[in-house]
Amino acid sequence: MNAIETYKLKRTFGDLVAVDDLTLAIPEGTVFGFLGPNGAGKTTTVRMLAALISLTSGTATVAGHKVGHDNTAIRQSVGILTETPGLYDRLSAEQNLIFFARLYDVPASRATAQAEHYLRMLDLWERRNEHVGGFSKGMRQKLAIARALLHEPKVIFLDEPTAGLDPEASRIVIDFIKELRAEGRTIFLTTHNLPEADELCDTIGVFRTQLVQVDTPRNLREGLFGHGTKIRVAGDASTWVSTVQSLPFVRHVAVQDSTLSVALDNPDDQNPLLVQSLVTAGAQIRAVEPISHSLEEVYMQLVGK
Amino acid sequence: MDKILVILNKEWLEIRQQRTLLLTILLLPLLFTVISVGTFITIGILPHIGNSSTLNTLSMPTLAGLSSIEIAQAVVGLQMSLLYVLLPIVITSVIASYSIVGEKTSRTLEPLLATPIRTWELLLGKSLSALLPAIVATWLAGGLFILCVALFSLSARVFAAIVSPAWLIVFLLWTPLLALIGIAVMVAVSSRVNDPRTAQQFSIFLVLPIIALIIGQVSGLYVLGPVFAFAIFLLLVLLAILAIWIVTRLFQREVILTRWK
Repeated sequence: MNAIETYKLKRTFGDLVAVDDLTLAIPEGTVFGFLGPNGAGKTTTVRMLAALISLTSGTATVAGHKVGHDNTAIRQSVGILTETPGLYDRLSAEQNLIFFARLYDVPASRATAQAEHYLRMLDLWERRNEHVGGFSKGMRQKLAIARALLHEPKVIFLDEPTAGLDPEASRIVIDFIKELRAEGRTIFLTTHNLPEADELCDTIGVFRTQLVQVDTPRNLREGLFGHGTKIRVAGDASTWVSTVQSLPFVRHVAVQDSTLSVALDNPDDQNPLLVQSLVTAGAQIRAVEPISHSLEEVYMQLVGK
Repeated sequence: MDKILVILNKEWLEIRQQRTLLLTILLLPLLFTVISVGTFITIGILPHIGNSSTLNTLSMPTLAGLSSIEIAQAVVGLQMSLLYVLLPIVITSVIASYSIVGEKTSRTLEPLLATPIRTWELLLGKSLSALLPAIVATWLAGGLFILCVALFSLSARVFAAIVSPAWLIVFLLWTPLLALIGIAVMVAVSSRVNDPRTAQQFSIFLVLPIIALIIGQVSGLYVLGPVFAFAIFLLLVLLAILAIWIVTRLFQREVILTRWK
């Protein structure tokens, strides 16, 4: 079952088309990464799906509720971490959380317990009585994440969840997101941190007013760059180019110093033959590894289109 | 109703943390009362002021037959009594400006609107958080003023001239409506400004008519009788309804997130 479905979603502001023809289906219990340059319309998309602003045309369903028809139910079912944390500086961390918990209809008797649960989980319990105005950026971010989860939403929108966090705190948040996914919750993640997206996301959508591409990180890489193997040999690798090129399954060979980069359709089956032919020809193999392209390379290719 | 109370509780928690707001709510009514009562009492006990020719020329039919000093005290009391009409405007504009512009500048509006709270609940909660302290402070201060007038009036007629049916209409019926209109002005202005003090300056549009009222009475242009007071009350009701209508159109999720600058 899909937690989020959109069909030809569109949003305009006067003559400006912010989001156009967006069709998505995000299964429950997955992490969806929504990537795109600044001003691409990602925040507008999130606002529409969180029932904060209306759609110009198209349809969307979030957590089983139709956007534009069941907006209050949608807001009850989703949690959102906005671009800026948006916390009350004059209230304490605990007061902030209890306030928002009550607005999410968490009963008063449970609100305090929920606040404590997430404050402890995000390592903020010791600072619970301090005014948020004195918190660092990272602490505010963690508190805002806690706020998004107080009412145990099924769908969570996270806008740059690790922005401003130190590596340790980032790791806590990333692991936390994985736990949420394991609990069956759906995460809609917008981020500019591509390694983080690569680690977390089951599916990635690259967006620039319209959806450029949507697929798993692996399929995005393979779709753009194909499969391949890097082989480091002793000495100059150009010596062995002809040997590799003579193999019928090799699509392309590139050389850099002592490394051969070989494009293959099926590395799992073809690597043994490739290595065997080089060894037979006299090459001394130092290392064999798959060619990997970073998500950044994928993103730059797609967004540059 | 629950959510409105949650908003109210949060607003008052924040008010208690802001010295400026707290002082406004506590000291301003006190200051108004001290000034008005002090002046009223002084006029009555310092004959050379009370008998001054300037004050004695301010004659009103309700004051016919009173001595010069009684007239002087009554006239001063009448002018001072109209100060209490300014109180709700000032208090609500200060609280509402911090409350609404504050949400804008701290970027808390979006997470707040992302909750299931309906916009009318949010607006009502914020309005009440400004309205209730304003009305309570005004009525308490005004009540104290009435008590002092009762205690220190030179005669029962002086008291009756000040705490007249017209003034009671103004004090009890105008003040909540003026407070409500003041809040509406702040909501409208807050959609365009990013500093509470800038927003507060727009309350001058409500303050000026009240000052004109005071000056008009001082200069003898008119006498604020009960009929006139009630007519203004009806006008204020219409203005308040219009203000609420405008504000509910401005205070919509879509409008706040896409058009508030």
